Amino acid sequence: MKFAVRLSLVGLVFITMFSVVGLRLWFIQVAQGSTIAQEATEQTWIQRSVYAPRGDIFDRNGQLLATSRIVPAVVVDRTFIQPDQAQGVVDRLSALLAIDRGHLAEQYEKAGVNGRFEVGSISTEMAYRINEELDDLPGVEIVKIPERIYINGPTAAHVIGHLGLPDASDLEERPDLDPSVRVGKLGIEKFYDELLQGIPGTEEFRVRRGQIIDTRPSVDPVQGSSVVLSIDLGIQEILEMALEEGIQLSNEVKDQDRQNPDREVFSVTERAAAVVLDVDTFEVLAAASVPDFDPQFFVAGIDAEQFALLNEARAFNNLATNGLYPPASTFKAITYTVAMEEMLPLPEQIEGIDPGARQVHCDGTLELPQLADGTPQVKKDWYYPRTYGWLGLSDALTVSCNIYFWSLGLGTYQTYGRGDPRETVIQDWAKMLGYGEKTGIDLVNEADGVVPTRELFEEWKQYQIDNPDQPPRLDPSRLEIASPWLGGDLMDFAIGQGAFTATPLQVAVSYAALVNGGNVYEPRLAKEIRHPDGTVEPVETVLKRTVPISENTRRSLLHDLNRVVTSGTARGAFVDFGEGLEQVGGKTGTGQSVKTRDNHAWFVGVTPIDDPKYVVVVLIEEGGSGGGVAAPVARHILQYLTGNEPTPIVQGDRAD
Amino acid sequence: MAVISRLREVAVVRRGNKSDRILLGAIFVLSSIGLMMIYSATRSSGTFSMERQMIFVAAGLIILAVFSNIDYREYRVMLPIISIVTLVLLGAVFLFDPVSDGGVGQAYRWIPLGFFNLQPSEFAKVVVILVLASLLSPERNSDEPPGRQLTWKKVGLALVVVAIPGAMIYEQPDLGTALVFGFVMIVLLFAAGATWRQMLTLIGGVVGGAIAVVQLGLLSDYQLARIQCLVDPASDPTSACYQLSQSMRAIGSGQLFGKGFLADGSMTSFEYVPEQQTDFIFTAVAEQFGLLGSLVVLAAFAIIVWRLLVIAANARDRFGALIAVGVAAMIMFHVFVNVGMTVGIMPVTGIPLPFLSQGGSFYMAMALALGIANSVWLMRTPVPSENQLL
Repeated sequence: MKFAVRLSLVGLVFITMFSVVGLRLWFIQVAQGSTIAQEATEQTWIQRSVYAPRGDIFDRNGQLLATSRIVPAVVVDRTFIQPDQAQGVVDRLSALLAIDRGHLAEQYEKAGVNGRFEVGSISTEMAYRINEELDDLPGVEIVKIPERIYINGPTAAHVIGHLGLPDASDLEERPDLDPSVRVGKLGIEKFYDELLQGIPGTEEFRVRRGQIIDTRPSVDPVQGSSVVLSIDLGIQEILEMALEEGIQLSNEVKDQDRQNPDREVFSVTERAAAVVLDVDTFEVLAAASVPDFDPQFFVAGIDAEQFALLNEARAFNNLATNGLYPPASTFKAITYTVAMEEMLPLPEQIEGIDPGARQVHCDGTLELPQLADGTPQVKKDWYYPRTYGWLGLSDALTVSCNIYFWSLGLGTYQTYGRGDPRETVIQDWAKMLGYGEKTGIDLVNEADGVVPTRELFEEWKQYQIDNPDQPPRLDPSRLEIASPWLGGDLMDFAIGQGAFTATPLQVAVSYAALVNGGNVYEPRLAKEIRHPDGTVEPVETVLKRTVPISENTRRSLLHDLNRVVTSGTARGAFVDFGEGLEQVGGKTGTGQSVKTRDNHAWFVGVTPIDDPKYVVVVLIEEGGSGGGVAAPVARHILQYLTGNEPTPIVQGDRAD
Repeated sequence: MAVISRLREVAVVRRGNKSDRILLGAIFVLSSIGLMMIYSATRSSGTFSMERQMIFVAAGLIILAVFSNIDYREYRVMLPIISIVTLVLLGAVFLFDPVSDGGVGQAYRWIPLGFFNLQPSEFAKVVVILVLASLLSPERNSDEPPGRQLTWKKVGLALVVVAIPGAMIYEQPDLGTALVFGFVMIVLLFAAGATWRQMLTLIGGVVGGAIAVVQLGLLSDYQLARIQCLVDPASDPTSACYQLSQSMRAIGSGQLFGKGFLADGSMTSFEYVPEQQTDFIFTAVAEQFGLLGSLVVLAAFAIIVWRLLVIAANARDRFGALIAVGVAAMIMFHVFVNVGMTVGIMPVTGIPLPFLSQGGSFYMAMALALGIANSVWLMRTPVPSENQLL
């Protein structure tokens, strides 16, 4: 090939290369030019959001619970930092603030070109110091940011909640969030976050080499709305103190029991929860969970170790709405109501049960019919066997006779049996009264609990067969039986045991409905929203359903609940109640979860008996006996609610 | 002195020949546009970039004039010395502190001389062209006909000539400049008479090597990220692809006629394109003068490349012809890769745009290359006494 030909070929290749570039230029500049031009113009404007002041949180009497103050904070804005200055700024700033350089460099990188990030709030002294050095720290600004203050520290921490920077799941849920602005993470702060947060404003400007050269009119931020809670700070404080004392009392009792070879103690009592509910409006007047935490920790940035400790203690868990426990004998009030309303049958031809007189012999054991192979079956009233003789429904509730309520469960099982819709009459009532479903309170992550039925057990059985690797929920022997639901299961359900679990709030809701005539509302923590324009918007409560309870049954139940505290299982705890004991009622409960854990202590109080207004639920997790430990705590609160001077929390009768 | 006697001889030769005015005109136009663009991209920064570049342009024009008047054939004898000096300088950069390369990292690329930083790799490009041209053309007084096929041995030697400085520059690291050598070598081998089989072997080697480099993970993360940007500009809009997206926005928003020189509100005036006065200088042209301005610049480069090929066709010997082809290939590669990267068809590499990008060594090296090529043009007509020599 001649040299000239080779040169021509080289020229041809070069022409091709020029053409490729030229065509691409035509494509970008002419074919797509106008679209790109628009983007480019807009891009020269930098948008910044302006913090909207977050709304406050008040208690029902106008006491301030959470507010914001304006504090200085350091912000780094990369728009104003030339690339060669970045190293110096990061070095100097990390030294000044005594923070980890690597972490700051990482934040810087993450903010991206023209990005902006908050390093953290600083003291006023530090603000002055940095202010003096601002000339050497391009892009560093001292800004005023709102910082949350929780006036009462850990009081009502689980209700109020706390703030934190949005994480991946928050941003997924609400993609429009400004990742540099803190959002509610728990409690009211989270549930009403969008109202509290307000609408951030914007300012727009153009920057040339770190100097603002042009601005557009800014949009002012709209302040967040304030939330007024139904919580009464006075009741809340008494409730929290009483719970702490109750835990202490439980541990004192356990210390004594450790000396006694007849009693077994498995653990130290650490956790408790309580709720005070208005039975007419379903406003939550107080809700406490121990252990708690100080939401203020999160404001300055909680350190990992402290967080891990609190998390391990489950301090962020609101046991009042998330803690699931067998409701135990507190549920007898529901079985009692069903027995009266539905005339639950008692079993025939069993010694110690007289279905005609509707009486049961409460002597501590229940002899069931022999099995086919002649094995005798005896169910023991396992906990505090006493002989009360023949009792009717009223007395059985007052002394919390398991045998009577077992008999109701057995009678129902035998009479209706499999396939009859009335087999689940007790569970149906429980569900109508709010068990097994979220109460709908204005908090996130509420637990719903389990109301066991034949259907559910069959579902569980199938699941267990299909997934042998999963932890079993039914005893393996149940898998052998055609239907895993047995009479004993309904008997246990009638006394609030077995697979049955509920939250303290669900127990409060069910009692509130029993004593208010059957109305089940969604409980509310927020009473009203105060908007920045001065308007006040009440928070609506939702009536979920009305359960038909006759006035006769209601009156009878209230009367017997009163007898529990005057002559029944809670008598000892209420001896020192003071004036108006005739207007107070309640029910003890001692819940068994597993044999190797201590029992959960329950008490549900109601007052006044003539026209109930308050339901008080106290749960002490693995605290021991309901009458002995939980009843004195509830009594303390009831004394406060009825205007009596609350007397010290000392051990009551050891009764369930 | 040999040089002086040659200069005298040149004066005789030049009687009939004049410099390639079209070539010089194109260089002048591009240099002027370059100064304007550097001014527009840096005027608010207070770095006197344009003023500094004017000095380099002046120095470059002097270099151009001087080397136009030196008989390019002189270098053949001196090539061993020139090569050794170049290699020493390329090694010397590692003795000085690395400097930010304007992108993601730091590089050993410069020898600080006080008044400016010498970048030996730019001059190495010219030296490699001379060495390859010498290697691939017949000895000056040999009887070897110039049209003969290349031997595999010469192809191998050419690879060695390129590989040694290429590897040193790759270590700086400066992948882009190392790639210039490869392109120049392939074009020169073809022009010098490589067979199709040789060409296919070489191109196959390049393709295979590229695949191997990617497969073996020899590319660093930022290099991969830059390639990824071409496919998916949204893959990392904050850093790796930021330059590219800003560059394309600036160019695209210039549209047909541009926003006008120093137009208010342009991305250039806001200095929104990183490294605009150096590697991304083309964005300043395209934004301010639109497609028309872009095509004027491309046309000026096309004229230069065209003239260089004309010089090659008219050269008095194969050595001169190959020098002109090598310089043409070098310019072509710079233009294609540089403009290509600003418009998103080539990955972002640190290859500047000849005569426009800010940079002293680069401008002077380009002026040197064009000066030598112009000398090939001036020497195209053999003086009568020399006829016997061929």
